[in-house]
Amino acid sequence: MKNNFDFVIVGGGVAAATIAKGLLEHRHDTSILILEAGPEIIAKDRRFWWDYITRGERPYTFTYDQKFEADSTGNIDYQTDGVRVKAYGGSTMHWGAWSLRFRPEDFNLFTNTGEGADWPIDYEDLEPYYNDAEAFLSVCGDDDANWVPRSKPYPVPPFEWTAADGQMIEAWEQLDVVYQDGDIDPGKKSKIKSGKMPIARYRKCMTTGTCKYCPIGGRFNAQYVLDDLKNDPRFVNFEVRVNSPVHKVNASSKSKIESVTYTDNLTGKENEVYGNTVILASGAYNVPKLLRASKNEFWKDGIGNDTDLVGRYVVSHSMLNVVGKAKSNPNGWFQEYDFPTLMSHSYNTKEHQKKGKIFMFKNRTTPNVDIAQLMIDGKTREEIDEIVYGEMTINIQAFLEEKGKHSNRLEARQGTDRFGLPQTTVHFSRTQEEMKNANDRLRLLEQIIEKMGLEVTSSRVDKPGGHHTTGTARMGTSSENSVTDKFMRVHDTDNLYVCSNAALPTGSAVNPTLTLTAMAFRLVNHLIENNEH
Amino acid sequence: MNEEQTCIGGTVCNEKLPANLIFAEGQDLTHKNKEALWEIFEAIGTNWSNAIYDSNNQRSSWYEMLKAKTENAPNYTGEYVNAIYVVNELKAMYGVGGAYEKLFFESGVNNDEPPITRLAHCKIFVVNEFIRMQITAGGFKSWGTKYGGEEAKNYHGFLGGTRYNRISRVRAYDPNNTNLKNESDEK
Repeated sequence: MKNNFDFVIVGGGVAAATIAKGLLEHRHDTSILILEAGPEIIAKDRRFWWDYITRGERPYTFTYDQKFEADSTGNIDYQTDGVRVKAYGGSTMHWGAWSLRFRPEDFNLFTNTGEGADWPIDYEDLEPYYNDAEAFLSVCGDDDANWVPRSKPYPVPPFEWTAADGQMIEAWEQLDVVYQDGDIDPGKKSKIKSGKMPIARYRKCMTTGTCKYCPIGGRFNAQYVLDDLKNDPRFVNFEVRVNSPVHKVNASSKSKIESVTYTDNLTGKENEVYGNTVILASGAYNVPKLLRASKNEFWKDGIGNDTDLVGRYVVSHSMLNVVGKAKSNPNGWFQEYDFPTLMSHSYNTKEHQKKGKIFMFKNRTTPNVDIAQLMIDGKTREEIDEIVYGEMTINIQAFLEEKGKHSNRLEARQGTDRFGLPQTTVHFSRTQEEMKNANDRLRLLEQIIEKMGLEVTSSRVDKPGGHHTTGTARMGTSSENSVTDKFMRVHDTDNLYVCSNAALPTGSAVNPTLTLTAMAFRLVNHLIENNEH
Repeated sequence: MNEEQTCIGGTVCNEKLPANLIFAEGQDLTHKNKEALWEIFEAIGTNWSNAIYDSNNQRSSWYEMLKAKTENAPNYTGEYVNAIYVVNELKAMYGVGGAYEKLFFESGVNNDEPPITRLAHCKIFVVNEFIRMQITAGGFKSWGTKYGGEEAKNYHGFLGGTRYNRISRVRAYDPNNTNLKNESDEK
């Protein structure tokens, strides 16, 4: 079995797929090995899809962290179970594919607020790579929207607002953007603007509403890219090994990384593979655990951890959640897609950064009536009609930006999970001020629900979790404030990179995957320009 | 428990079975089996008045599901054959129409409990899954119009329409038709 490669990439998700594709298209005979801890689960399989439709079962959920594999400490529970797919293709097996750019102020959070961190690059540095990422993921977006500066149009037109979005659109038009204590530089008042959610869907999307397991490959999944690379006869030196958890990164000197050690889960045998360049693309959970586990004579506390920053500055999103109820639903509306179509960045601006920006959207599943379940429960047609045209529930949600804190840390705990990776513990607390800010933002959402003429039936701040975790090996200007440099190379090493949400110093108020993909394109360009390829 | 709540059918329906899928690897459905199963599927549309063309427009989708469920593991053939036995007994006891009314509306089967009778197997593995498939494949479209609204266009699992995004595959936002507008019109 071959054990020497130009590149060894740890993790088999979207970052790995993007890097491998970029490097191979530049030079076809590049040797690349991807090591994925999880198994391969077939995508686009009709039987799997029918089981999803008829039984609600998805074939990858067994790879999710279980409660016994991850816990948290601190003043708020940090959710890890059920959020990460550990399999070939990574979490793009189940992601919603919302593909939003970070905004210019996200790269200057510390400068603007005195909290969190600045990036060592600006939005302008990343903008061309956002274009590449949007083309690669096939993002359906609205060219008329001008939320962030962009130099190229979206590759695919947007999904239209649904009829059920209408009431919220009108409520937003009637509400001013409200500046609260703690917001900075309020500026002029303006109405809340409605936008169309950018979603990574190929043109072949048939909107089955079963995006969590797409039967036709309409939603981007890194597995499709990796399959294409494996099957492309030009790329003779490309290989993916699944069921292969990496335990250690090995160095031959302080700056030179020479290999990684992994276990073949099917044989139980430990293997060492050598790479001229090693890229850790295994997510904001696994990257810090792997770095700290990689202790040697040059790195006593783990690679990149001389200043004890690996795993710190955990950033997540808190989900704000307000539910309203209308007395009737004469049009019998339900959310016909399986993704939200209505969103707004009106509170996702620099002015709101100090208090915590929010990105608002109408929940993807409301209003909704599960007609089939009513039939299964034995309700008659008349009884179902009464329910369909009766009370209607609408849910508005928002991601709340959080700022990295030194004391919030993700690390390994004793024992391994079912795939041979270290179990996880997350130490995470919010300050009283953050709790207050979250509740203040919640009031805004309640106003929207009330403006819609609905009765607020539930209003809560959900716990943070692993869905959008960033910051655990963050980029910065030196090892005193960060783990990686502006090209995501681990400080003081020559050939070890982190291409993962772990490297993002801030999490903005939007989903991080598009930004990670843009960073992967930028890394490919860097590797090519620096002849590491 | 399903055992206690089961109140329809006779000895076949109430015969005990383990809760797991009836083992049937390597077995196939006959043409006659498929016709008997189609009758169950068709009866769903009849009883909830949500089908057109006697459900025949859904036949190819239904058949594709049947094929996927019987030609790949775990094989549903045993469940499907069991359902035919159950329905035959119900028809003998209550007549054709009565059998389906009993099965759909008065089965007494608790859908949240493991199925431990032949009737419960029939309800949970066959009827309930056929219902989900029937709604998904177009049964949902019969809702939306009762009070002059637009027919629903899309639903969880529905595959239809064009591959191009410019044509709306859902009931799209119309500024002149929202609940707020409807309520102010009423005033």
